[in-house]
Amino acid sequence: MEHNAVKQILSCRDVSKTFYGDGKCTEVIRHIDFDVTENEFVVLFGPGQCGKTTLIKMLAGLEECEEGSISLENEKITGPRPDLGVVYQTTALFPWCTVRGNIEFGPKVRNKDKKETRKRADHFIDLVGLKGFEDSYPKALSGGMRQRVGIARAYCNDPRVLLMDEPFGHLDAQTRYMMEEALENIWQKEKRTVIFVTNNIEEAIYLADRIILLTNRPASIKQEFKIELPRPRDYVSPEFLKLREIITQAMDATV
Amino acid sequence: MKKAVQLEKIGWVVFDLLLLLLGWIFLVTCTSAKDTFPDPVSVFSMLFTSFVKPIGTYTMWGHIMWSLYRVMVGFTLASVTGIIVGIAMGSSKIAEAIIKPIFEFLRPIPPIAWIPLAILWFGIDEASKYFIIWLGAFINVTLNSYVGASRTDETLIGAARMLGAGKRKVFTRIILPASMPQIFAGLQVAMSSCWMAVLVAEMVRSNEGVGWIIIRGTDTGNTAQIIVGMITIGVIGFILTTAMSWIERKVCSWNTTL
Repeated sequence: MEHNAVKQILSCRDVSKTFYGDGKCTEVIRHIDFDVTENEFVVLFGPGQCGKTTLIKMLAGLEECEEGSISLENEKITGPRPDLGVVYQTTALFPWCTVRGNIEFGPKVRNKDKKETRKRADHFIDLVGLKGFEDSYPKALSGGMRQRVGIARAYCNDPRVLLMDEPFGHLDAQTRYMMEEALENIWQKEKRTVIFVTNNIEEAIYLADRIILLTNRPASIKQEFKIELPRPRDYVSPEFLKLREIITQAMDATV
Repeated sequence: MKKAVQLEKIGWVVFDLLLLLLGWIFLVTCTSAKDTFPDPVSVFSMLFTSFVKPIGTYTMWGHIMWSLYRVMVGFTLASVTGIIVGIAMGSSKIAEAIIKPIFEFLRPIPPIAWIPLAILWFGIDEASKYFIIWLGAFINVTLNSYVGASRTDETLIGAARMLGAGKRKVFTRIILPASMPQIFAGLQVAMSSCWMAVLVAEMVRSNEGVGWIIIRGTDTGNTAQIIVGMITIGVIGFILTTAMSWIERKVCSWNTTL
């Protein structure tokens, strides 16, 4: 009974956005409409500069919707809120905080119990594989390690939904594979609703329960793909490559 | 390897000092400068005895303490007021619009130009000295804190808000630390400007302090005393700026550019 109950957690209703400036207006997002169920891993996949980051910012409440509305459990999102966690492409770690300081930042500013926070932080530091680096400053970490801190920081604040804006976009290919594996691993252990933005097709298929394919700017939904391959997935399995071909074809038609 | 490089550097410093000393000895023995220029022996013997034998009311220690005390009063006042005003300017558009033009107007006027007004307003005693020392430092600290606060990375502010930080926490945990390197750059310049201002203030009117030693030397035609004062000023100034960078390295150890 419970097994079949799929709970809607986030809904994006007919959202549009246009930027005005320098005497011209740029339509970035056109009538985007989708729902996300609890603990689902949704990948927003689309070409570069198509407006994905704007969409993530709107989901996070950092950017207003011009038309339509976004709601979390039937409550409209009107501004930043801690039950939405963001992992940034640029990592956006606080350089003056240590690894632990960054990861504990959320619970600390929300005046959570100190002991509890420390325990949570320890748990996530361990989970993302940063044991021994608790007291390092971000400047001493590699790109991959910084992104691990970013993920742990978002998780440690215990959000309902995690928004990830091309978190591995700046990493080299090898580190990227490692991080995809690590993220999948973390997500398997700490189930969470994730909305993940990328322009990398392998990454999308490797991680997603569902891929939402976006068109070029103005971004609108082109097609959706449910990915039902068993996890962890194999980048070179025939099923994986088949999906890759199907989605690439659908994508080519959008550009 | 590193040690060898350091040793070499020290070697060059010693070499430079010896060269300077030789030039000085040559100047006072072989040229006509000896009438107006004291020889090294009398300068250094005066420098060392000045720490036990008073010049005027105080020994050298006393004079240094007087000058340092004045600097510390002005510098502390300037740091506190400058950081507050600068960060207010950097984080509030209204404060920026009101205060910034005033600063752009005042900045090119050197603090020394304020001495006559300072004396008229605050009298010839300590208060006017504090004002002069405070003024130059205040302008530096304010402008630097302003730049630091206004250049805070918007993404970091967004990240902090997403994690649940309110306005006050964004200020204390993001804007303030993000401005720290720039604030320290301001404090560094401010420290030098305070040290300069105190000497000028003491030359204009005082009965003690390192600046007074020089002026007193001029009045009594004691060239050795003038040079003793100058050497002391250089050494103290060097110690002050070195101490400032040391504190900065401790406070901003996270900073990538240090």
